[in-house]
Amino acid sequence: MTTSPTPALTADLLGALSRLVGSRWVRHRPAELATYAADGLPTHESRPGLVVLPGSRSEVAAVLSLLAERHVPFVPRGAGTGLSGGALAGGDAVLLTLTRLNRILRIDPASRRAVVEPGVINAHLSQAVARFGLQYVPDPSSQTACTIGGNVAENAGGPHCLKYGVTTNHITALEVILPDGSTATLGSPQGEPWGPDLVGLFLGSEGMFGVAVEITVRLEPTPRDIRTLFAEFTQLRAASSAVSAIIASGIVPAALEMMDQSCLEAVEASIYATGARTDAAAVLLVELDGAPEAVAAEAAVVEPLLRANGARSVTVATSEPDRARLWLGRKKAFGALGRLAPDLAVQDAVVPRSALPDLLDQIAAVRDRLGIRISNVFHAGDGNLHPCISFDRRDPRQAAAVVTANREIMEACLAAGGSITGEHGVGSDKREYMPRAFQPAALDLMCEVRRVFDPDGRANPGKVFPANVCREWRRGDRQ
Amino acid sequence: MGDFTSLDPCVHCGFCLPACPTYLATRDEADSPRGRIVLMRALERGDLSADDPALRQHLDACLGCRGCEPACPSGVGYGRGLEEARRRIAASVGLRPLARLTLGVFGRSVAWRTAFGAGRWIRDLGLAKLLAGSGRARLGFGMLAATAPGRVRQPTLAPEAGTGPTVALFRGCVMDTLFGHVHDATRRTLAVNGYRVIEVPGQGCCGALHDHAGDQEGAARLGRANLAAIGETTDFIVVNSAGCGALLKDYGHLLGTEAARRFAGRVRDVTELLADRGPVTGGSLPLDVAYDAPCHLQHAQQVQRQPLAVLGAIPGLRVHQLPGSDRCCGSAGIYSLVEPAMSRMVLDDKIEAIRSLTPRPDFIATGNPGCLMQIGAGLMAAGLATRVAHPVELLDWSYAAGGRYR
Repeated sequence: MTTSPTPALTADLLGALSRLVGSRWVRHRPAELATYAADGLPTHESRPGLVVLPGSRSEVAAVLSLLAERHVPFVPRGAGTGLSGGALAGGDAVLLTLTRLNRILRIDPASRRAVVEPGVINAHLSQAVARFGLQYVPDPSSQTACTIGGNVAENAGGPHCLKYGVTTNHITALEVILPDGSTATLGSPQGEPWGPDLVGLFLGSEGMFGVAVEITVRLEPTPRDIRTLFAEFTQLRAASSAVSAIIASGIVPAALEMMDQSCLEAVEASIYATGARTDAAAVLLVELDGAPEAVAAEAAVVEPLLRANGARSVTVATSEPDRARLWLGRKKAFGALGRLAPDLAVQDAVVPRSALPDLLDQIAAVRDRLGIRISNVFHAGDGNLHPCISFDRRDPRQAAAVVTANREIMEACLAAGGSITGEHGVGSDKREYMPRAFQPAALDLMCEVRRVFDPDGRANPGKVFPANVCREWRRGDRQ
Repeated sequence: MGDFTSLDPCVHCGFCLPACPTYLATRDEADSPRGRIVLMRALERGDLSADDPALRQHLDACLGCRGCEPACPSGVGYGRGLEEARRRIAASVGLRPLARLTLGVFGRSVAWRTAFGAGRWIRDLGLAKLLAGSGRARLGFGMLAATAPGRVRQPTLAPEAGTGPTVALFRGCVMDTLFGHVHDATRRTLAVNGYRVIEVPGQGCCGALHDHAGDQEGAARLGRANLAAIGETTDFIVVNSAGCGALLKDYGHLLGTEAARRFAGRVRDVTELLADRGPVTGGSLPLDVAYDAPCHLQHAQQVQRQPLAVLGAIPGLRVHQLPGSDRCCGSAGIYSLVEPAMSRMVLDDKIEAIRSLTPRPDFIATGNPGCLMQIGAGLMAAGLATRVAHPVELLDWSYAAGGRYR
């Protein structure tokens, strides 16, 4: 799917952008553009026409005004760790990289708020507020690298979203530059719910509504006590039933994660090994947090439930280093899967929790029929699956099998009453499934909402909606 | 010779980005490990040629610190890939003139002895310290000034050698001419810990600078000379320069012979040998110190706790944690010379971290000449009173204070 730079972006535009941000912050040579041709999902590639790295919000506004004046499409990008091919630009578009806007502008421990620029790295925010006994909860696995701006665009999740909610539950206000270069303030710092929820609308808009240049986030106190249980199972179904049993008990763990054997093998071979035996069919990671008495009481329920459902061993980690080791194994799992094959397609879908065991069986059937390796590592507590397909793109047979497997897994999830993405977004990767997930009228409404923010359709064009869905595209106004 | 298979495990996840000092300096993916892997792959496929100016700019801007390797969950061999890319570039379009000139000096002992001898003369006259400051030339004088001993050397003698393992001291080039006091401290502290240190004549530069620049031929020539000079008689070969040690331990790969592999297996950093013996405790040294880990010690050699064990053997020493101590200082061999702008950006982050420490340390301890010079110069340019010292220097002072010497 590689597109080559088109002459649509002229040397004149290069000069104008260089005057706005400085020539060293406009990348235009083929080698440089190649380094921006993919995000964390290697199945999609597209070389941008230009890459611009503005250094301040006023530069962002100036760049967007200029692009509006010249009718040039643009795509916002953070650290490029996304997994839906969302932050890719075609040769006729400018890639607007926001990583240089990386200041934490304010921390207000009393009202538990922080105001950050979009390029602040997720984990750096939690590190910066730790001295106040606070944390920023949404913790995608890429948190050591991904940016808060990208989290806002994708409405990112993470293991701890089971109990605490996804990014949208942690953002109270946004300063956004709209695609025409004008500025708007959405929401209010304290997050009082009056008027239409424009912050909620912007969250997860995948770069189609503009660029958030100041983000007010909610901070939460660091839990007083945390206990992480690590259970090994000899049967995948047993692990799934343990998940259902824990949720049925009324306990909401801070996180409830599963890795299957294939994934475990890769993790245990990496520097992030948890120490688990790789003959386990699945492992569950259950984290309980809160007041010490509550955590102890919940652990007294969860541990017997794990054993009653067939766990052959349960390890309990209470010290920070032990917990960190278990979590690193889980959070670096996607990367660790690189050991299995040169390429990795990480998928994302949600199914009702009760459908998990059947879905895992169906994924195994797809795997066996197509003869490819699929590893599962996912947020079991909320039914958010991440089947990871290992392959070598240089082999056309494998590349074709990946496309088939993705489609079959998506269809199985939809048939089970699920959705096509839990937290990675639609991007380029899931566009074609949108009409299966939504009625035409609903898709038309989404397009209308988009036109409110971006009447010209210049912001991250060609993503989320399949070609021919939005009315203006049907009319052939653009593309 | 080589290929890029060590890059195969990369799945483009991007977890390496914030581990890269040059990405942190520019936040531009073209200056990130993942971006550079894309460039190396394009070079391999022939999509980009070795003389592509943008490809060269961003690969040349890599420090080679390998800070990305421990951050990588899939175990990408970034260093091996970079080595191959630089070899191909050097082979097809040659080295840049400044790099060629510099490496020419390091390749001939007459040349570097003359150059560094003159440098030492300028330093000992006090001129380097006088001229040290900000700006490219004055930073250079700062580097020279930073090679001076942290303390005036007491005329001390090591105890009589015992019956412990024999150790050949690798003298190197910069270490031999500008850091003679670190060699003295190495000899004395090893002797206190029961090693018999043996002087071996006829050694030269290790070749690491050539190797990093893509001139494996030049590196191999120097490697063979060192192999011949040092031979196989001692139990160990001790190195007190992290950059040299990393290449000496890699001579097996560089030279591809059985003798080279045996040689490489005997190489130890001085802190490894000392930590194996405890090391012996010294006298009190009531100083504030922060340790900064040289990339070629922590990443290339995987030597991480031993330097801290050496500092831990010094009573009274207050060792503070330096945030980002695992991150490159921007020295990286001849990098500070050929990529001054990026080197300075990376150094500024390091100096800022030191400036924000309370209490401000008296010394930054680090076991590599490049890091000592770079950080030392940065501290002088910033007007900070903190100085630099090799960990074995501190141990040496502690042994002197504790009456371990005659």
